[in-house]
Amino acid sequence: MSKRIRFILVFLIVALIAAVAAWKYTFKKSESNVASHKTEVTIDAPELLQAFEINEDSANMKYLDKVILVSGTVGSISKDSLGYTVYLKEEDAISGIVCSFDNASFDSALVKPGSQINVKGICTGYLMDVIMNKCYIGD
Amino acid sequence: MKTKILFLAMLALVQISQAQKLITKSGHIWFYSKTPLEEIDAHNRQAVGTLDPATGEMAFQLLIKSFEFKRALMQEHFNENYMESDKYPKASFKGKITNLDKIDFKKDGVYPAEVSGDMTIHNVTKPLSAKGTLAVKGGTVIANAKFLTTAHDWDIEIPSVVEDKIAKQIEVTVDVTYTANQ
Repeated sequence: MSKRIRFILVFLIVALIAAVAAWKYTFKKSESNVASHKTEVTIDAPELLQAFEINEDSANMKYLDKVILVSGTVGSISKDSLGYTVYLKEEDAISGIVCSFDNASFDSALVKPGSQINVKGICTGYLMDVIMNKCYIGD
Repeated sequence: MKTKILFLAMLALVQISQAQKLITKSGHIWFYSKTPLEEIDAHNRQAVGTLDPATGEMAFQLLIKSFEFKRALMQEHFNENYMESDKYPKASFKGKITNLDKIDFKKDGVYPAEVSGDMTIHNVTKPLSAKGTLAVKGGTVIANAKFLTTAHDWDIEIPSVVEDKIAKQIEVTVDVTYTANQ
């Protein structure tokens, strides 16, 4: 094989790999991130809430955009056109964790008011409650 | 924490008075941008909102990072390059229903509603008016509204390379179900 053809072949292969990588990167689906993502923080719901209540800025630094596995008590469940919202709230608490699920990532058989569950999701911040989205039921 | 205590105190005060304030913690607010090159929609299902039927006062607060895009990279650009959500994590609206006399919160029905107030996005506060409907049904009130805005209004710079992919006029839709207690 002449040098020239070998060069063209190698060039084509490299270009193909780069194109596939660029395509995958650009059109990466957001949903697929969380379930397959490694958990970065494991924490109890009251502890997470308290961190934000005491100091929102430092809690933001610690938890924002992180994949968090939070365990807590289901206070209420609501449904809208895009999915489900589970409100993790201890019985006498005034605030909790709002967790949003897509329709596909929610199993209503597993989640009942009062039950203890683990939720894996991305922490997006704090309003009246701590907010998590793209949630999945964790192990 | 301070705002929360204030909010809860306000809530308690209102509950003592005759009318009960309505609240949502899972308000759906989304925006839509369309150009020949790209169609973008991003959804926030976690907006907090209050509505006081007695005074017509309406307030919203949401986290910029709670907007979900179909593509992860778009969401990243939205947060990091345009909205600077680490610096300005929240957007809010505070206003009043201006035709409160035409709305009967005690009677089921769909009422046209007009709201005006101040909206804060990307640390810029501007007056905003929007038209929509309030649907009263049993104990719940569903608020729907649409309005147009531009990135320019909120001092958000769109680089010329992506200018053709982001619409000049971005449509914002509000779809919120309030209940008396949540």
